[in-house]
Amino acid sequence: MSNTTVKPEQGSKLSLRAGKLPKGATWMVAIGSIIVAIVLGMLMTGGFNIPLIALLAGVLNFIVLYAWSRTVEGKRKATDRVATTLVTSSFVIALIPLISLLWMTLVRGGPVILESPTVLSRTMEGMKGIYDQDYVAGEGELLGGFYHSIIGTVLITLAACIISIPIGVFTAIYLVEYAGRNTLGKAITFLVDVMTGIPSIVAGLFAFALFGTFLTLVDPGGIGSAKMGISAAVALSVLMVPIVVRNTEEILRLVPMDLREATYALGVPKWKTIVRIVLPTAISGILSGITIAIARVIGETAPIMVTAGFARNLNWDLFGGWMSTLPTFIYDSQMRPTSPGVAAAASSDRAWAAALVLIVLVMVLNLIARLLAKYLAPKGAR
Amino acid sequence: MKLTRFAPAAAVAAVGALTLSACGGGSATGESQENTGGEEQQQEELSGTLTGIGASSQKAAMDAWIADFGSVQPNVQVQYSPDGSGAGREQFLAGNAQFAGSDAALDEEELETAKDVCGPDGAFEYPVYISPIAVAFNLEGVDSVNMSPELIAKVFKGEVTTWNDQAIADENPDVELPDTPITPVHRSDESGTTENFVDYLSQAAGDVWDAEVSGDWPSDYGGEASQGTDGVVQTVSDTDGAIGYADASAVGELGTVAVGVGEEYVEYSPEAAAAVVDASEVAEGRGEGDLAFDLARDTTESGTYPIVLVSYHLVCSTYGDQNTVDMVKAWQNFVISEEGQQSAAESAGSAPISEDLRGQITEIIDMIQVAE
Repeated sequence: MSNTTVKPEQGSKLSLRAGKLPKGATWMVAIGSIIVAIVLGMLMTGGFNIPLIALLAGVLNFIVLYAWSRTVEGKRKATDRVATTLVTSSFVIALIPLISLLWMTLVRGGPVILESPTVLSRTMEGMKGIYDQDYVAGEGELLGGFYHSIIGTVLITLAACIISIPIGVFTAIYLVEYAGRNTLGKAITFLVDVMTGIPSIVAGLFAFALFGTFLTLVDPGGIGSAKMGISAAVALSVLMVPIVVRNTEEILRLVPMDLREATYALGVPKWKTIVRIVLPTAISGILSGITIAIARVIGETAPIMVTAGFARNLNWDLFGGWMSTLPTFIYDSQMRPTSPGVAAAASSDRAWAAALVLIVLVMVLNLIARLLAKYLAPKGAR
Repeated sequence: MKLTRFAPAAAVAAVGALTLSACGGGSATGESQENTGGEEQQQEELSGTLTGIGASSQKAAMDAWIADFGSVQPNVQVQYSPDGSGAGREQFLAGNAQFAGSDAALDEEELETAKDVCGPDGAFEYPVYISPIAVAFNLEGVDSVNMSPELIAKVFKGEVTTWNDQAIADENPDVELPDTPITPVHRSDESGTTENFVDYLSQAAGDVWDAEVSGDWPSDYGGEASQGTDGVVQTVSDTDGAIGYADASAVGELGTVAVGVGEEYVEYSPEAAAAVVDASEVAEGRGEGDLAFDLARDTTESGTYPIVLVSYHLVCSTYGDQNTVDMVKAWQNFVISEEGQQSAAESAGSAPISEDLRGQITEIIDMIQVAE
């Protein structure tokens, strides 16, 4: 500050009259580097090597942009541009697996569903390898399907939601509205944190052991029948509850204290404040929290294998018999095809189609949650 | 007011539920799986559920058996969880399953445990699934090569490195062998196929093959590693001069090795694979109804193919009630029947068991009864 040797006019000259890169320079450099990278990559390997080209393009982009900006705009702007590019490329890198996954599933599963839409409405009951061999040899249609797995996924997830949403939301309400900083609240928060870290297979074993123990009390040989939809639902709710609690708690804490105080001032009891003011205000956040929790558990494979087995037939009964869900169906088809060897491609086709259906199912759930959030939100917040 | 807010959500849920329940068929073919009314179905109709846990090697055959059993006894539901042989034996001995599939017979300790679960006669076990393992190679212009067990061991050990090596040429005087280098391909994952193949090598070529027998490939011996049966077949198909081992049903168009047995060389075939089980001795010191074979992989008997994977079914000697006994009998009789074995052969590429073995197993199944 006290240093007077810096002449003010020099500073103003730097900031106002320094050169500027033309508008859209970032894009020009990016596209230019990609083209150069493609040419270079093809010269180096003689083929179209995407990872190498991407790496080359990224490095080129950095060097060219920094050098150009440094010479025209000066050091500060150049650093700024580099930081911007870093952030953007991180975003692109994070997108790569997502897009590649969606693309793969669409390309492998899409044609299967379009060509043999019956996979959506048939089960694996009565399915055997010889049908798959006919299909792969081009002599028959693709038989079998995963209707039973779609039903299983929906039923088990629904049951898991019915169990865990009330527990999760009420726990969160207790933590935010009632517990304050008391010991019980801290204990619950700690336990919820611990629960978040439970590996999913442990949840599955827990649910199986729980039902096994109870059923053995009723019938000594009954442990075998502990494999059923409801034990899978319990296993999933063990995984869901902590997520629902965490998300709901965060959202409820965001509801302004003023709103609560305003209702208290009008003489509204606490429970009514929570039901009519706090929850509606937070509803859209709570619903997205629940959707995240559902999306997290709907793709679980390990706990379902332990608790619900591998069913081949359609089973609507959550309380008796094995059930199949889409993830276990995919796993089973891919790892142990109906017909090993060349005709395993048929099982693989069904698995990809099931993967696509699972992704679409999660997207539809997300969409429903968005719509619900929109319609249930209080008028002012729309 | 409240109603209008919830109405769209309810409508969406209702439409979703209707769509889901409206479009469902019940079976793989879209036709209902009623009793097709064949003349031979004189058996009484049973109903109930049978649960099996065990070897994943049997999965494809099990799919075929369950599918076809559905037309014999439409009201008996058979479910099978391919958790692995070890898990299958464990769960079966804990009484969680009515039958188990296992790539290995019960050991002494397990036989004792079986008496607690299955009654004084313990468990019955017998082979139901015989799968030949082919040694397949990819060499332009050559469809079949003769190899003695010692030679196979040397090739997979990396001691014989080119196809025109003198050792190979000596056994194949009529085949013109190129000087392509040999690339041995093995499974990278733990598998029953590896275990049976390595067991064969150590029994039939013990002088050359000194590695321990396990489901993992001995890491000292090098070679190319591939994931799963399909991976091995793929790698062999893609590499000129490669040789690998895989379920015979999976090798497709690749050339296969005729394996040296005694004085002759045997190509794999279902009959030859089933024959090796008949040439083997039943393990001694086991109870009645226990057909655990000591596979004679070093047999010199003519017409046997010794590289096979044999998988067993384990059932109890007694069950709690008549219905379960009837269901287990019907199910197991179907599995070993000519029809059942043929169906598995078509779908899973296994080798049907011989008539002789079927006779022995039928006697064992007849001994299953209600616990006193």
